[in-house]
Formats: sequence, structure tokens, C-alpha cells
Amino acid sequence: MLNTYFSLVFDPLAVFFVITILTISIPSFIYSLGYLKGHYSTRKIVLGQFLFGLFVLAMLAVVTAGNIFFFLIVWELMSLSSYFLVIFDTENKKSIEAGTIYMVMAQIGTAFLIAAFLLMYQQSGSFDFYVIKQALVSLPIQQKNILFLLLLVGFGAKAGIVPLHIWLPYAHPQAPSHVSALMSGVMIKTAIYGLIRFVILILGVNALWWGELVIVLACISCLVGILNALTEHDLKTLLAYSSVENIGIILLGVGAAMIFIKLGYPVLAVLAMGAGLYHLFNHAIFKGLLFLGAGSIYNATGSRNIEKLGGLINKIPWTSSYFLLGSMAISALPPLNGFVSEWLTLLVLFLGALTLGGGLKLFFCFSAAILALTGGLTAACFVKAFGITFLGQARSVKVEQAKECGLAMNMGMAILAFLVVILGLGVVFFIKIFGFVAGFVMGVDASLIRFSLNSFVISLPLANNIFLATPQLLLLLLLCAVFAFVLLNLFFGRAKVLLGKTWDCGYYKLTSRNEYTATGFSKPFRLAFSFFLLPYRKLNKVKESFYHVKNFYYETHTTKIFMDYIYRNLLGSTFRLAGSMRGIQTGSINIYLGYIFLTILLLLVFRGIF
Amino acid sequence: MEFFLILGLLASAFGLVSAKRLSVLIGNFSLQSLLLAILTFVEAVNLGQLGLCIIALLVLALKVVIIPKILSNITKEIKVNDNLEFYLNPQLSLLMALLLTYLCWTFASVIFVESDAVAKMCGAVSFSMIALGMFLMIFRVKALAQIIGLLAMENGVFLLAALVLNGMPFLVEMAIFFDVFVGVVILGVFVYRINRLFVGIDVSKLNRLRG
Repeated sequence: MLNTYFSLVFDPLAVFFVITILTISIPSFIYSLGYLKGHYSTRKIVLGQFLFGLFVLAMLAVVTAGNIFFFLIVWELMSLSSYFLVIFDTENKKSIEAGTIYMVMAQIGTAFLIAAFLLMYQQSGSFDFYVIKQALVSLPIQQKNILFLLLLVGFGAKAGIVPLHIWLPYAHPQAPSHVSALMSGVMIKTAIYGLIRFVILILGVNALWWGELVIVLACISCLVGILNALTEHDLKTLLAYSSVENIGIILLGVGAAMIFIKLGYPVLAVLAMGAGLYHLFNHAIFKGLLFLGAGSIYNATGSRNIEKLGGLINKIPWTSSYFLLGSMAISALPPLNGFVSEWLTLLVLFLGALTLGGGLKLFFCFSAAILALTGGLTAACFVKAFGITFLGQARSVKVEQAKECGLAMNMGMAILAFLVVILGLGVVFFIKIFGFVAGFVMGVDASLIRFSLNSFVISLPLANNIFLATPQLLLLLLLCAVFAFVLLNLFFGRAKVLLGKTWDCGYYKLTSRNEYTATGFSKPFRLAFSFFLLPYRKLNKVKESFYHVKNFYYETHTTKIFMDYIYRNLLGSTFRLAGSMRGIQTGSINIYLGYIFLTILLLLVFRGIF
Repeated sequence: MEFFLILGLLASAFGLVSAKRLSVLIGNFSLQSLLLAILTFVEAVNLGQLGLCIIALLVLALKVVIIPKILSNITKEIKVNDNLEFYLNPQLSLLMALLLTYLCWTFASVIFVESDAVAKMCGAVSFSMIALGMFLMIFRVKALAQIIGLLAMENGVFLLAALVLNGMPFLVEMAIFFDVFVGVVILGVFVYRINRLFVGIDVSKLNRLRG
């Protein structure tokens, strides 16, 4: 009996996710040894590490669960343990609020999952994945469509697909940094695992529009995520929004794979899925690294608001270099890992546009265009994040006294930074592994597909003239740099360093307050995308006389469209409905007894009739 | 014999509904319990069961003597006005009670299709006793009426168990008696507290819990 409820699977997909989880968990744990010590009491640290372990265990169980019953239990365990980690700073009101939003969204998702699983159970009479897969073949297409939509909403709420993403920017910043790294890096990926496992492996792709819907949602997630990240000034919130965007990029690969397999292009499907999985793994690593870096900054300065930081590159050089590496990877700069997977995804979309005909050609073109735009905006976003945080001059006293974090924290980040480089340079080796997993997912023997390899170049037999060689790219970049350096030296002689004040029109009172701000940096984007961001400002002048302004107060914000227009309305109408139910709550014992009596009477009459 | 006893039970239930004073209410309850005890005793003799005999004696001791004594003591001690206050006056209450009895009768005749007339009647009366006890709880203001209503409902359940289903296991019956007794004691304490806190035992004053 116990066996039927607690079976595990260890197929390539499960093993791949187990490796992903462990790859992020171990450095995060090492990091937490240093991070927690400075912020919490011993009791709280023990509690935190216990919850952390429970959380990792639950995630491992989610990706290895062999039946839906067990899956659902550990899925909830994962939500619960992460909820307690989100509200770890229990004295902070914001944490409680974030935890509530997170829990509500998680429960909504689970409700949809339960509905889907009950449908599966009803059809198959079993909880086991394999039996369900056999039984679902004979399900009519309408029911399969319903099942797909239920699964998409259920897992979408956990993955943070727009418009179900609202919990990410609340929950991720409030958790301790090593937990945010895990939540943003790995936990939301378990939802991708769920989509792959249940939609592609168990349900099978039955209609073309499934893949199209996934791609459309992915495109929206990409743009919404990165635009919100651009205007955000809280470092961890910014990273959380960027997670929404990266989930979009991963889903672009997954959705493309769904379309290709439905139309009968197994090789392309494997490549698309491989790109998606590659980006999933990469995002886990560099987002983990960036969250850990944000934690180190918070540890050193006590602030996450990038408007209050600045000039940190001299104070905490190690953290700065790790953060720079992470930012470069997430901005898809060659030769780092983010570049590889985003390039592969882009390649897949182009191949789709080249191979398919009709409307799908245009569809893939648009998707590729949106991915390209996203890439550009990401670069801008992280130029802002890195530039304002680390460059320039310190904007507060605490930043001036910032100290480098301890060995454990540096170790945690160093491991991830190392992986960022390795996954970028070793693409030839890794693409085979990801191809193998993707081949398993798509039901194609990947060893039959040849990614033709000559020295360090991959090329696909079906898509000629496409090369990817990150080591060469690195070499090329280095050569360019050396060449430029030599040229400069030749023409202008050795560089002379002059230290002096910035010229300030003879005012001689420039301080860090005159520095370029993050708000200023993102202003062009606020203007260009004002139709979506809906920026507004608050101005307040206190004048001494007509000519002299004594105080000037200026604030600018962007509207959170989904929160303000959709969720607040939903919440409001729920409360109104609940309020209208208050009419029957008189508080009188007699009336309550009357309700009970009336119910019994009605039941009696009901029994009498039938 | 049994037939008249059952009718007597129904009559006492009507008596409960139409009572105007607390002392009458308690007396009526005592009378109902007495009839129930006799009925149980007759049944026990007929069936030759010693267990049911003991239960009948327990009914006599507990519901006829002890509980009414406790309740009347409470009324004396907290010096509450003997008048029951109504949401529905006794005449209309009686009319409603008749309607409810009719409803219970039809219900019983649906359930006990294959039983003989006495069993059917017995079922109908026990349902009526439950319904009228509930009715009492709803339409009377004083907290003591709620206690009596609950006990009257319990009497109905007891009748159903003892006669229609030929008695429950002895241990279960004992447990129920103990429950009822403890329940009365606790409710009595509550009535004291309510009286002290709200100056009077009108449950209509207990509406501050509303959110």
C-alpha cells in the first residue's frame, strides 16, 4: 500500500532537475553559514536551517515523485516551507504581507492542480504516472484541452507566468537572500518541471494552439518582467521581476518544442527543448549568484535600495566581481552561459520561422523579435543595477563603511560564478547532456541526432552555417581588447592617470547627491513604454518667495497594472460579496438556532419528496 | 397502555411549547421525563431486559428529580422573573407545533413504511419531540428555555433509540446520561455567568460577538 503512494521516478528529466536543485542548494547553504550569523540569533538560525533543509528536500521530492498523490503532498510541503522562509523576519510587517500574497497565489495554483489531478484520477483510476499516461490516450480532445488549461494555470501560478506573477516581487525580496536564490533560481523551475512532466510527457501535445498559447504567454512574461525590472530600485525586487522575464525565455523554448513536436519536427523539438532546459539551468545559476550578491550588498550596507548605494566596487571588490559576472551572464554577453542559452533559443525561433510556413512563420518572427528586445532591455536593466550600485561615489555613510563579507559567503558565490563561466565555455560538452534530456522528454532518441562537432564548433546538419564557439569568442574578445590597448598605446602613448575633481561649472560643491540616479537612468524607458508603465509623479514645492524655492519634493512611480487593475478589483469584489453575506449574521442565538432548524426541516421535506 | 403513554409524551411536548412561566416549563419537562421513564420501564418488562430497567430508573432519578431540581434552584438563586419572554406567543406557538407534528408524522410514515402502527406513531412522536425542543430553543428569550429545549430534544432522541431501535448498548446510554448531566451543570454555570455579566438571562443580549 505504501509503495503505491510513495513511488519515485529517476528518469533523465527527474535526474536533471535533481542536479539543478543540488547545484544551487549547496552553494546557497555554504553562503547561508556566513549570512545568517550576522543577522539572527542562534535559535533562529537553527530554525532557518531546518526550514531550508525541508524546503530543499521537498523540491527534490517534487521532481522525483512517481505518482500524483505523492506529488501533491510534497508540492504543498514545498509551498509551506518556503512560506515560512518568506515570513522569516516575522517582526517585519512587509514580510507578513508578502507571505500572505505568496500563500494565496500558491493555493490558487494548487486548487487548479487538484482539479486537474482529480480529472486524471477519474479517467485512470490510478495515481501512478505511467497508468495515467496510458489511460489519458483515450480521453476526448475537449477534456484534454481543459486538462491542459488547468495544468497551465496551476503551474503558471508557481512559475510566475504573467498575469499570475504578482507574488514574485513581494515574496522573493522578503526571504533571506540564500532562500531567495533558491526560490527564484530553483523553486519556480519546479513548475516548469511540472509543465514538462504533465503536459508533454503524460498528456502529450494534442493541439497546435497549446504551444502557441505557451509562447504568447512567454512573450508577455518576458516584456512585462523586464519592463518592471527596469523601473525598480530595490535590488532584490528587480531580480524577482527579472525572474519573470527569464521564465518567459525558458517557456519560449518549451513552447517552441511543443509546436515542433506537434507538427512533426523531432530534431527541432529536441533542440528547442534543449535550449529551454539549458536556459533553465543557466538562469538557476546566475540568478542564484545575483541574489547571493544582493544579499552580500545588504549584509555590507544594510540597504537594498540602489539609490542609496554607489561606489561599492572599491569597498567590496569580490562581491562586485561576482555580481558583475552574474549581470553579464543575465544580459547574455558572450562568452558566458546566459549568452549560450539565449542564443540557442533565438536560433530555435529563427529555425522555426525558416522551416514552418504560413502564419507560424510570422509568429516565430515576432517571438524572436520580442526575445531580442527583451535581451536589449535586460542589458539596460543590469547596466543600471550594476552601474548605480557599484560605480560612482557612495550615496550614504553606511556605504562608505562597507566591508567585504566573510569566507563562507564568498565561497558560495565563487562556486556559482565558476559555474557561470564553465557553462558558457563548455557549451560543446553540455549541449550533449541537455540534448539527451530533451530527447527523452520529446520521445526521440537524441543519440541519433548529430550535433556535428568539429573542434570547438557545433553545427546542426539541418541548419547549415550556424556556429557557436564560446571559447573562440572569448579569445576574439581578448584579442580585440589587446589590439585596442596596443593601438591606443601606439597613438597616444602610455596612459597617464590624473586625479582631480569633476568640473562643476565653478560651483565646487558637488556631492554624491549630484550623481546620476537609477530613476534618471530608467527615465527614457519610462517614457518609451509609458503606455504600459503609466508613470506618474508627485511634486511639492515650498517657496520662501516667488524667486526662491526653499524645499523641493519630487517622486515618480510607475503603475503596477496587474496589481492595481486586476487583482485589486478582484479583491474588492470578493470583499463586497463577503460583506453582503454579513446581513444574515445577526449575532442572535435564536436566529442561529432557527437557521439550523430550518435546514433540518428543509432536509426532512426534501427526504419526504424524494 | 403504551399508546396512551406516547400520546402523553406528545401532550407534554405541547405543554412545553405553550408554557408561560419558567416553573411550569420545568414542571412540564419533569412530567415528560416521568412518562418516558414509565414507558421505558414497561418496555423493559415486556422485553425482559435488565439493562433497560436500570436505564429507566436512571431516567427517573436524573431527569425527573435531579435536573429539574438543579434548574429550579438556579431560577430561585438568581431571582429571575418567572415570566418566560416570547418571540412567538403561546397560542401561535401551539399552532406551529401542530404543523410541525404533522410534518414529522408524514416524515415518519415515509421512513417507517413497513413497521406496525405503534412503532410508526412512536417514531412520529419522537421526531415531534425533537422538533418542538428545537422550536422552544428558537422562540424563547430566556437562557433556561434553551436548556430545557435541549433536554427535550434529548428526550426525543432517547425515545427513538429506546423504543424504535430497541435500545442502544448499555454503555452508550450511560455515557449519554453522563453527558446530559454534565451538560446541565455546565449550562447552569453559564446561566450564572450570563446573569452576572448582562444583568438577566435574556439571550437576546448576547449579540456582541458579531464581527
